[in-house]
Amino acid sequence: MSKKWKHRPPAVFRLDRDHLIIDSATKTRGSSERRAQINSEPEFEALAITIDDSTRSSRRGIRWAMLFLFALGGLLLLAMGVAVSDLITDLLARNPELGWLGLGFAILAMVSLLVIAVRETTALMRLAKVEKLRQRAAGLIVSDNRIEARALMHELLALTWKMPHLARGRADLEGHLGEIIDGSDMVRLAERELMTPLDQQARKLISTAATRVSVVTAVSPRAVVDILFVFGTALVLVRRLAFLYGARPGTLSLARLVRQVVMHLAVTGGLAASDSLIQQMLGHGIAAKLSARLGEGVLNGLLTARLGLAAVDLIRPVPFAALPRPTLSDIMSEILGSFGDTEERHSESSLAVAEVQ
Amino acid sequence: MADLLEHIRLTTQALVEFGAHLFNPTVRLGVTGLSNAGKTVFITALVHGLVRGGRFPVFEALATGRIARAYLAPQPDDAVSRFDYENHRTALVGKRYWPHSTRQISELRVVIEYQSLSGYQHTLTVDVVDYPGEWLLDLPLLTKSYEVWAAESVRLSRQRPRADLAKDWHLHLATLNPEGTEDEQEALTAARLFTEYLRACRDKNYAMSLLPPGRFLMPGDLANTPALTFAPLELSAEGPPPTGSLWAMMRRRYESYRTVVVRPFFRDHFARLDRQIVLVDTLAAINAGPDALLDLEHALHQVLDCFQTGRKTLLSALLRPRIDRILLAATKADHLHHTSHDRLETILRRLVQGATAKAELAGANVDVVALAAVRATREAMVRRGRQQLPCVLGVPVAGEAIAGEIFDGETEAAIFPGDLPDDPNELFSGDKKGFRGLATTSSKNADFRFLRVRPPVLELTENGVAALPHIRLDRALQFLIGDRLV
Repeated sequence: MSKKWKHRPPAVFRLDRDHLIIDSATKTRGSSERRAQINSEPEFEALAITIDDSTRSSRRGIRWAMLFLFALGGLLLLAMGVAVSDLITDLLARNPELGWLGLGFAILAMVSLLVIAVRETTALMRLAKVEKLRQRAAGLIVSDNRIEARALMHELLALTWKMPHLARGRADLEGHLGEIIDGSDMVRLAERELMTPLDQQARKLISTAATRVSVVTAVSPRAVVDILFVFGTALVLVRRLAFLYGARPGTLSLARLVRQVVMHLAVTGGLAASDSLIQQMLGHGIAAKLSARLGEGVLNGLLTARLGLAAVDLIRPVPFAALPRPTLSDIMSEILGSFGDTEERHSESSLAVAEVQ
Repeated sequence: MADLLEHIRLTTQALVEFGAHLFNPTVRLGVTGLSNAGKTVFITALVHGLVRGGRFPVFEALATGRIARAYLAPQPDDAVSRFDYENHRTALVGKRYWPHSTRQISELRVVIEYQSLSGYQHTLTVDVVDYPGEWLLDLPLLTKSYEVWAAESVRLSRQRPRADLAKDWHLHLATLNPEGTEDEQEALTAARLFTEYLRACRDKNYAMSLLPPGRFLMPGDLANTPALTFAPLELSAEGPPPTGSLWAMMRRRYESYRTVVVRPFFRDHFARLDRQIVLVDTLAAINAGPDALLDLEHALHQVLDCFQTGRKTLLSALLRPRIDRILLAATKADHLHHTSHDRLETILRRLVQGATAKAELAGANVDVVALAAVRATREAMVRRGRQQLPCVLGVPVAGEAIAGEIFDGETEAAIFPGDLPDDPNELFSGDKKGFRGLATTSSKNADFRFLRVRPPVLELTENGVAALPHIRLDRALQFLIGDRLV
């Protein structure tokens, strides 16, 4: 009887009789009907997954500005090459030893430049990969595909294999890989096993950075100092978070990441305005009533914390699904906790000032 | 009037329980399924996993270590028998036999001590209520008169393949005159033949599901009472039955069946459930053939229609408890290679289509999952010639037959049960071209053969307790009680 679907009739192979070769890769020759070969549980083959990047611009035609920059860059490089080679020939003409030294420096510079370029490129690729992983994980939570989830798990394990805190989580996760677990459950499981310690550390990083910014702003003598300090801290924070979650950015990718974070903040900032911003403003208002400096400090701290949270959103290889997303109020309570004494001292001193007056 | 009284009783009961649960959070988890669906094994595995700490990576509270301990507490309802967890576990783990099936309602109380996500210590009491799904098929009888039920039953018994099985009863039915005088002997014979017909339908080769009244197959302590000694009659006349007639007697007994059996079950057990899992042995129906599958579909629809589903609100908790989460589980998923689990799930989804949509509309959470409470097989790829067959390795129970091979219960075999279609509708096409099952053909020519296999040989964990392997039992737990453990 023919079926509309691809149907193979049931079959059975007795392990004691049917010349079964278990766990063996040798091909069976001589095709007697009942001869068969068992390969015990095969590895899931990783499917090649293609994600089309619709965000890439599809402008056609020659981009003249790019061409100009390219040509200019080429010219500059050539000029530099000529200058360097002139310098070396000059040096050689003057004193052979100096000339060789110069040549050595030139080669050293070339090599290190090459290394830097390679590193930056891989760092950029890593950043892109983390982003892709996150998108895939988000897709898997919806599609619940087992095979893709398994492929993703392997990549996540590869991404995190250098993180010492995750040894236990990785081992557990590897143990679960052989079990029959559905795609979305697998992603949640991986998030719980791998991201919990990282999230805790991230929170600590963000709250320390925010606290430091608050304090420095509150006590700094000049505005320039705290602007520089806020900027520097934010940069360091983003970099540390990126290292924490395994993206290990270089200079270029850090710049790219910071740009993304700021953009993300601009987008989600509007969304969060409804609840937390009002609260923040209120908090800021009260702090400002106590002291203008303190108010500024709290506001700067808040901004840093927001920046950190936005960076976590972007740099985490798995989206928040099983674990709660850290919120600004979580971080704020930590900051205010550590800030409490400062605040008290500050209000005490302002009281003292009032008494004197 | 009776209905009103019933409602008042239910509401009072709900109010009392609401008060009790305020201080001692309790979930009543109903476990049901038609016979042989795997209820007993499911509960045994679930309790074992909770109490002895099973390997449940997806069950968040246990996996992250928030559950400090779980233990069995004394059974709360004095009138209901206790679920015999210890003996079932011994049968399963020690002797490697599947435990005996559910014959009556039973209950088990598990207390879970856990720490909430915010860090507070809590306890959650889970009352697992195990009852045969056949009893659910009785619930629609509450709204049916004897005449309607008799007409339906007779019509159903004339359909293929039931007509063959009901032959004896039909012969006897033809000799009965509903308006003749009542006769105890005639009633006894009719009830016996009717029960035999129902029992024959349940045979594994036919695997019919829609067989009310449920107590006929599982009489328990009511065996041979008049409440269970009635049968459908072929009625031609309208209006009330003549006094003293066979018809009147049958009708009276049908009424007492409803008051003695069905209504107390509804009130005391069924109306109090918070969560429900319905276990469905889809594979047995596919084994038997298209008719069994259609019958299962009808039965499931009736079962699901019984549930009071809907979102839990304060008002509903006070007045009328509702089931806010239903999990439909295709059991014995370990009889299939995991690559086919999704197909099994879609088949079950297709079976319960309309009913789940209704429950979801009412605000309940419905999920469908393919699971194996105890995983009895391993998986393997068998290469035959140029074909790759995804097989399961296990020891089929004695007497199982496939492709001309009969097993003795000791031999291990690699079983390929036949490819399930991607599109479940292929199985429901209804005509004879769909596929052949045991109901119409021999085990050699059937298109699907899912063999029952013996429980697995278990390896002990570090602390000397046998961990039961499973498929997606943790996912089921997470869905059923995970949200109460946050």
